Amino acid sequence: MAISIRNVTKTFGSFAALEDVSLEVEYGSLTALLGPSGSGKSTLLRVIAGLEQPDAGEIVISGEDATGVAPQNRGVGFVFQHYAAFKHMTVRDNVAFGLTIRKRPKAEISARVDELLELVQLQPFARRYPAQLSGGQRQRMALARALAVEPRVLLLDEPFGALDARVRAELREWLRRLHEEVHVTTVFVTHDQEEAMEVADQVALMNKGRIEQVGGPRELYEQPETEFVMSFIGPVNRVGDSWVRPHDLDLLPEPVEDADEAMIERIVHLGFEVRVELVCADGTKLRAQITREHCEELELEAGQILWVRADRERIFA
Amino acid sequence: MGRYGLRFVALGYLAALVAFPVALVFWRAFEAGLGEAWASVTTPGALHALWLSVLIACIAVPLNTIFGVLCALAIVRRRFRGHGLVNTVVDLPLALSPVVVGLALILVYGRNGWLGDTLADLGVRVIFALPGMVLATVFISLPFVVREVVPVLREIGDEQEQAASTLGASGWQTFWRITLPAIRWGIAYGVVLTTARTLGEFGAVSVVSGHLAGRTNTLTLHVEERFQSFDPVGTYSASVLLALLAVATLLAMNLFRPKEEEE
Repeated sequence: MAISIRNVTKTFGSFAALEDVSLEVEYGSLTALLGPSGSGKSTLLRVIAGLEQPDAGEIVISGEDATGVAPQNRGVGFVFQHYAAFKHMTVRDNVAFGLTIRKRPKAEISARVDELLELVQLQPFARRYPAQLSGGQRQRMALARALAVEPRVLLLDEPFGALDARVRAELREWLRRLHEEVHVTTVFVTHDQEEAMEVADQVALMNKGRIEQVGGPRELYEQPETEFVMSFIGPVNRVGDSWVRPHDLDLLPEPVEDADEAMIERIVHLGFEVRVELVCADGTKLRAQITREHCEELELEAGQILWVRADRERIFA
Repeated sequence: MGRYGLRFVALGYLAALVAFPVALVFWRAFEAGLGEAWASVTTPGALHALWLSVLIACIAVPLNTIFGVLCALAIVRRRFRGHGLVNTVVDLPLALSPVVVGLALILVYGRNGWLGDTLADLGVRVIFALPGMVLATVFISLPFVVREVVPVLREIGDEQEQAASTLGASGWQTFWRITLPAIRWGIAYGVVLTTARTLGEFGAVSVVSGHLAGRTNTLTLHVEERFQSFDPVGTYSASVLLALLAVATLLAMNLFRPKEEEE
């Protein structure tokens, strides 16, 4: 395993940031630590990097115990949410920093930096200062800087959190492609489930300092083990004791067995799909998601009465 | 009209309080001619005082710069017991009257002081000699670098330093390559303020110097000594020299002002 996290615990004062967390990260994988704020995901990432010391447990990187090792000797690349650009250095010097510290020959540094600047598409900006770059460009620079030292693992702390939605979507896709090219084991922290699902091949969902579930994006979506996983990954309806996804609600014009009567409150057109907001006879509110075609077939409109049947309900103990 | 009124008040206030008295000092210095003024600042006593002032500044300013940066790093980057105490004690020299500082030093290092016997045995003379004057000056000008660097350190945060460490930089390398360049303007301001304070210091140095003309007179003490000796040209020409040193430090401060590229 590229990274093994074993029974790690970390508290800040009386706040338990991590409670007995264990996680395995495979070589070459792209893992997302997903969770709401305060769930401990950033702390876990910082513990892997050595920027925080765990109170208990161990961190093994590439088979070597790294628990007490200083960050500079761990062979990790770290990318911060707010870029942590070296403001007094040009883009080129920023990227070269790790190699300069290692006192590599000038020619080698120069060649490697050129290569990386090309990889992150920043060659034209090599002589600029970070203050003259956009947020997206600064983050690409930070990535190139982290990759320059050929880290064993690349750690990204909410790397796109400070960027606007469009740049974020671009960078997400770009990160995915970069990972296919470079293939360095990567762990990134995010609070955005869509980002985790889109980019990662393994997602560890965290809540209150613990890992709730680890698995592929599809696994987490289709086989959630807890209520929290179900409700965090994708929208849900709560019906009595059970949970159901909006697209797993069948809308029927005629009553059938197991179907509840409901009235349409509102129809929201989202493009390809349509969200139908319903209220049941007992006052329960439901959201169903259907295709536009299906919506036209049923000739739905607000105020209409129809019958709702849950297709795949889940009950968590 | 109101605009001009405000401007007039501000300028008038500055003129009455600062410009006019200083101008008078210059006028009195050169009243008897340039040659006379030149002669009185090139007397052995005046030259020695100038040299002593510069010497003390050359010792006190680097000491306070190094200490100030370390102290600021400790205050901002480390959490330790007595943190608040350090933060408060650093400001003490600003609050204490310089005379009290001088007297305190005599209590410790004077002949009947706490360390007096030890120092006498070692044959080291602190009070009424250069070491005491340096101590007094260091004490008085201690807070300036700390106070300039602390907010800069707070503002830049520690992410750049953490990034450097994950990239393989040791603590020392991180300090030289990342932290120091980031706080250089803060240090520069602090050094300028320390220098100005050091050159202008009078009270504490006066207490510990013993006023030995030609031996322990700094430029400020020389001004006072000339004044007591009813030597107006000597007094005011030495004052002009002090003022010129102050102007030079202010110019240096303007040179150090951050350039546009620094956001």
